[in-house]
Amino acid sequence: MVLELLQSLSEMQLVGELTVLSLLIGGIIMAGGIITAKIAKLLFHKYYAPSLPKDTAQNISKLIYFGILIVSFLGFTSSQGIDLSGIMVAGGIFAVVIGFATQSVVSNLISGLFLIVEKPAKHGDTIDLPDMGISGTLLDIGTFSSKVRRFDGTVTRIPNDKFFTSNIRSLTLSTVRRADAVVGISYHSDIENAILVMKNEILQTMPFVLQIPEPEFRIDELGDSSVNIHVFVWYPKDDWSQAQPILLATLKRALDNASIEIPFPQRVIWSGKD
Amino acid sequence: MKTMSDASEITFSNYGIYDLSDNLELLLPNTLIKFQRISGNAFSYFRENSEGEIIEKIIPTESNDVKIELVPIQPLNHPAKRTNYVFLKLDKEIHLGENSAASIFVHCPIEIGIFLIYDDNHEPLDWVTCNPLNSRFSLYGSPDTGTLCKYAEVSLATDYDDSVSYVNGVMHIVIENTLSFAQTISKVIFPITDNNLYYNNSKSIIDGIKITMKKRAAVNIAEVKPTPVDTEWALASIWDKSIDSVHHMEMTLE
Repeated sequence: MVLELLQSLSEMQLVGELTVLSLLIGGIIMAGGIITAKIAKLLFHKYYAPSLPKDTAQNISKLIYFGILIVSFLGFTSSQGIDLSGIMVAGGIFAVVIGFATQSVVSNLISGLFLIVEKPAKHGDTIDLPDMGISGTLLDIGTFSSKVRRFDGTVTRIPNDKFFTSNIRSLTLSTVRRADAVVGISYHSDIENAILVMKNEILQTMPFVLQIPEPEFRIDELGDSSVNIHVFVWYPKDDWSQAQPILLATLKRALDNASIEIPFPQRVIWSGKD
Repeated sequence: MKTMSDASEITFSNYGIYDLSDNLELLLPNTLIKFQRISGNAFSYFRENSEGEIIEKIIPTESNDVKIELVPIQPLNHPAKRTNYVFLKLDKEIHLGENSAASIFVHCPIEIGIFLIYDDNHEPLDWVTCNPLNSRFSLYGSPDTGTLCKYAEVSLATDYDDSVSYVNGVMHIVIENTLSFAQTISKVIFPITDNNLYYNNSKSIIDGIKITMKKRAAVNIAEVKPTPVDTEWALASIWDKSIDSVHHMEMTLE
């Protein structure tokens, strides 16, 4: 019964030598390939990806998935008796036409490959793209675009060619980073004493600030109303929140406790008679 | 809360293993730890540290035989675990002539680990530091390629009994200069994860290190290797067993 059905299907020709049976076999091969690719990707993510860096895991996952799909497609074409050499020639000409038509798509694809090879930043890095005014955490370098989660929680998709050609400032590549703040003290305050109390307060109350290199104090400007001191402190790269946002408050507390005046903007006016 | 200045009047809890039947109170300088049975199969844990921070946990357990272990651990957790390296800045520099060696004891900072023991389980529960102001970070090297370290200014000790209880342990350092010129040593940087700690009542000691300054091709390097202590003091449990062993490190002499 089944054999008879298959026999009849093999005799039903659609186009040229293409029969319903060969099309059915091709469909089964493609469906099997897609299912196998999805299962292989799933198993890889479950058992191997957690032990690999995220960007490496994603690249290997894509390689497995698309590799199986390509093998399945080749199996499909051979089951249909399609001669690929003719397609290759036609494909070459077609690729040139498509290449011109989809220049930006190809550009994004190639840029994506270069990004994967060069790795200017990896998954999870905090980056700043000053040309585009985008800062955040790199979520993914995809085939055509990359995704960055900005600090406000929104996700920005950046075409790979723009990402690849823009300046990329990595905020997590270095071991440590530096925070800074400017604070003004009155002209009649003792600068050395002000620096001493600020340094002590930083070292006592900011445990993430590095002792070496130690906090640095530079007299930045003899301003209109105050002597401005620029303070620089270093901290472990992942602890921005323990340094930059609280540095100014720490400096103010230190100066307040030592009764060192932080002056308001002021102007001395001399009248003509004086 | 009792501070270090009250230490002469107060008896602090020794390192060791304590039975946890109903209630247990452990007192350390600047730190109070309390366990309390809140039901047939659960305890509460309360800890107030020297910075006024309060930690509270619920510990569910089916076991009737629950113990608490209080031991010195490597000083890597406060204010947060970021590195396996320590940077010991010696308060006095050591001058070492050509082809000579020195053997010194230093006070190395420690933290205190609290472990939960029941049935076949031995789990880290919490850690404290009794000297948070001397628990800071530093960088060895340049900002982009350097090594982040826990930093401490340390003084020389006389022997293994010379440690400050709950605050530091004594470490033996052997420095060998095989170079043909003198060296001045002001700091020691090494991964402390291969150094075990030992305790006796409230005192602690740490496995030593051997530093060999030698010439390799055209570069002068310092090779640092851990050296186990031969002692009868009790071996302290390891806080983080997942850390890979480094065994030894090399650094270029400045």
